Amino acid sequence: MAGDSQGFLLTSIDDFINWARKNSTWYLLFATACCGIELMQTGGPRSDFERFGSAPRASPRQADLMIVAGTITYKMALRAKILYEQMPEPKYVVAMGSCAISGGPYVYDSYTIVRGVAEIVPVDVHIPGCPPRPEALLHGLMTLQERIRGQSMRNPGGAA
Amino acid sequence: MSPSDVADALQSRFPGLSAAPPDSAPSAFVQPGDLHSHLVFLRDQLGFDYLVFLTALDRQAQGRLEVVYRLFSYRTKAGVVIRVLLPRDGARVDSVSDIYRTAEWHERETAEMFGIEFVGHPDPRRLLLPDDLEGYPLRKDFTHPNMIRLPEVP
Repeated sequence: MAGDSQGFLLTSIDDFINWARKNSTWYLLFATACCGIELMQTGGPRSDFERFGSAPRASPRQADLMIVAGTITYKMALRAKILYEQMPEPKYVVAMGSCAISGGPYVYDSYTIVRGVAEIVPVDVHIPGCPPRPEALLHGLMTLQERIRGQSMRNPGGAA
Repeated sequence: MSPSDVADALQSRFPGLSAAPPDSAPSAFVQPGDLHSHLVFLRDQLGFDYLVFLTALDRQAQGRLEVVYRLFSYRTKAGVVIRVLLPRDGARVDSVSDIYRTAEWHERETAEMFGIEFVGHPDPRRLLLPDDLEGYPLRKDFTHPNMIRLPEVP
């Protein structure tokens, strides 16, 4: 393909940068509800999140992954948007649990719950579950790593 | 004071004191105007030093809101429930946050959920609800466009 013909050096650089990025997705601590407990357990000793290079960060300025673990209310949605905008590019969002995907058990009768964090920030990976097991969250992280592996410097922000 | 002293004092102060249901405490209805003085008496004279919670009930059948104060005493291990009936429109009662500091947040939540005004509250902001939500969510007649009905499954 024409794009790849100049490409050995650039694709090697792409591969190297993507390898570095996918193995160091530092995530922002954004645990709102019960999924936050499973997020903490995924960082625990049995299913260790940090062996994938994914360290928890308290500040959005140092994070490139926001795992939205928990229910988002309209009051919290404003703060979630502010935190997302404070993260530097390239940034990724993982919607963990059914509340972050679609509003979860609150989708019908709630007056304050946002029906899915995709209404607030663009989401890359959805992890179903209520709450998802730590293994499911690790699978979601590996899905995100596959997505990062397919990115290219010539088309930043494009689909994998 | 012994628990029987406390029980006698409660019986004399609140003639309409009802018996305690299991896992709960004796409860008494008071007038909204006397609430503050009753709670000061309960805290200072009878040693009820802990306000467990402060909440409200929507008695839609009677057309009134009922504010419930649950008190507990660490010294005598006694409990009591004080109830106040208020009209649904213009519900006002004195704030007890100068008696029990914990009432500050309890009253903020009760005020925004039921539409009760606590006179003399030092910080009457919203606690849990977003600023642009209209209405009082925990009243029985509250509805909101976000509340979608569960579809009927035949």
